[in-house]
Amino acid sequence: MVGSKQTYNLWWRRSQETRAAYLFVLPVFLLFVLFRFGPTAASFVLSFTSYEIGGEVTFLGFDNYRQLLGDPIFWTSLRVTVTYTAIALPLTTITALGLALMVSKAYCGVGLYRAIFFLPYVTSMVMTAIIWLWIYRPTDGGLLNSTLGVTGVEPVGWLLDKATVLPALAVMSVWKGFGYSMLIFVAGIQAIPVAYHEAAQIDGATPWQLFRHITLPLLKPVLFFVLVIETIASFQVFDAIYVMTSGGPARASFSLVYMLYNQGFVYFNFGYAVTIGVFLFIAIFVMTIVQRKVLESKET
Amino acid sequence: MNIKSTIGSRSSSGTAVEEVVLHRSRSALTKYLSRGGFYLFLSAIAITTLVPFIAMVLLAATPLGALNLPSLIPTSFTLDNFRQVFNGSNLLRWSFNSLVYSVVSVVLSLFLASLAGYAFAKKKFAGRDAMFWSFVAMLMVPGQLTIVPLFILVSQAGGIDTYWGLIAPTLANAQAVFLMRQFIKGIPDDLIEAAKLDGASEFHIYSRIIMPLSMPVLATLAIFIFLSHWNEFFWPLLVAQSDDMRTLTVGLATMQARQPSTGVIMAAATFTFLPTFIVFLALQRYLVQGISMTGLKG
Repeated sequence: MVGSKQTYNLWWRRSQETRAAYLFVLPVFLLFVLFRFGPTAASFVLSFTSYEIGGEVTFLGFDNYRQLLGDPIFWTSLRVTVTYTAIALPLTTITALGLALMVSKAYCGVGLYRAIFFLPYVTSMVMTAIIWLWIYRPTDGGLLNSTLGVTGVEPVGWLLDKATVLPALAVMSVWKGFGYSMLIFVAGIQAIPVAYHEAAQIDGATPWQLFRHITLPLLKPVLFFVLVIETIASFQVFDAIYVMTSGGPARASFSLVYMLYNQGFVYFNFGYAVTIGVFLFIAIFVMTIVQRKVLESKET
Repeated sequence: MNIKSTIGSRSSSGTAVEEVVLHRSRSALTKYLSRGGFYLFLSAIAITTLVPFIAMVLLAATPLGALNLPSLIPTSFTLDNFRQVFNGSNLLRWSFNSLVYSVVSVVLSLFLASLAGYAFAKKKFAGRDAMFWSFVAMLMVPGQLTIVPLFILVSQAGGIDTYWGLIAPTLANAQAVFLMRQFIKGIPDDLIEAAKLDGASEFHIYSRIIMPLSMPVLATLAIFIFLSHWNEFFWPLLVAQSDDMRTLTVGLATMQARQPSTGVIMAAATFTFLPTFIVFLALQRYLVQGISMTGLKG
């Protein structure tokens, strides 16, 4: 009798614990169903329909996808996004890595430099965009043009010229974002045992050899992490374009996410906007998988 | 290089001692020079990094045309721009909205994520791992994919121009649940067992043992969630449509669209920057830790 009572108590305690566990995860679970799983599934469904503001849902099959692939604006926005990424990604990565190599040294005062380089990262893109609108201003007191003017260079309409708008936006995003990747690199560099460098130095390795044959190979996983994070961030560029260029001039900065915003929340073509979102998701997913594969092949 | 040549010269000739001394002083000199170049280079980049901030504050604090370019030397100061921005716009209301949006999100998402994180880390129940990893998988889904259905959902439910419409969708925070679970896994089971033997209730264990011990990860997450909400633009742009409900970022962007004078918009920008700057100065250590250890992205 005592035995069965003990079993009962154990059972009671276990079931009570299980109930508590379900109770603890329930709020988050409901939030995820409502705001993550549901909308994710809904976006795939919506991409096969036309849904407009009145609430009429018409099933279209693959029409949105067909329209997207035949839409010159989509190809423009893809080209804009890829070009922007191709400029911003190497600039950010090289700046971040170069400075990480310097501020990871155990010299006094590097903490201050690290903090300064990281400061732009904590600001909002809207604030950044407002400052840089002034820096890039074509006439009456843009910082860049008045600085270049000292050396006799004619004023340039940085954000008004099709050729310079994407480099200008990319340079601004480097300023805003390199501090984050720099900190990731610093953590990676500091995880490399000091003994490796000391041994190589005794053997007479130059600083470049140290970097090329010790630091860089050991930093490879960190480097790939940074490349993926920065690629995804560049692919999602939106805030700066909204504030600074509205996609112009002549769609020269009309990025994918800006197109999604434009279709979804200016024209309220929800189905079509979601199709752009699905494309973005697939593009980012494929890039992440490729990164993982490359990383795995390097590790073995 | 220096070590090698020093050793070489020591063994090769009779004046080895002299040469060693010579090499030492020469290498000390090059060391000083290279250290000087190191600081010079970093300082140049640091100043370049700071120039946009300095320019923002100076433009806000000087009358029109009183800032020499490109030297950034002001000829006079004024607080007119700040006065104008406070009187002529909803800046204080937007700040309040941003504060509600950020602080309520931090408190609620940390409370919910820590509850779930505790259950995922320390309890056994059917479907636990499947549920946990399905949450984590949502990290792969970019926000732009779900933003249209979320907007439809929230607007159908009457959430446009409401605080709950702004806040609720951000509470399903996979990163917070993930980090809470990882951290709580490291808390020894003995502590929990001991509390159970003393008759502590489940919620008691959570609030008196798990929460206090999770302070480091809670602090880090709090900063990142706060900053990401304070700086968020896309979602508030869609949900906060009336002027009174705008957050600072959206308010600032609409202000910019009306092409105000440089001084006024810079005064507003300076004002939005202050809270992030204070958070940065006070909690920089946690920010750096959060990024270095977990790759958190604000």
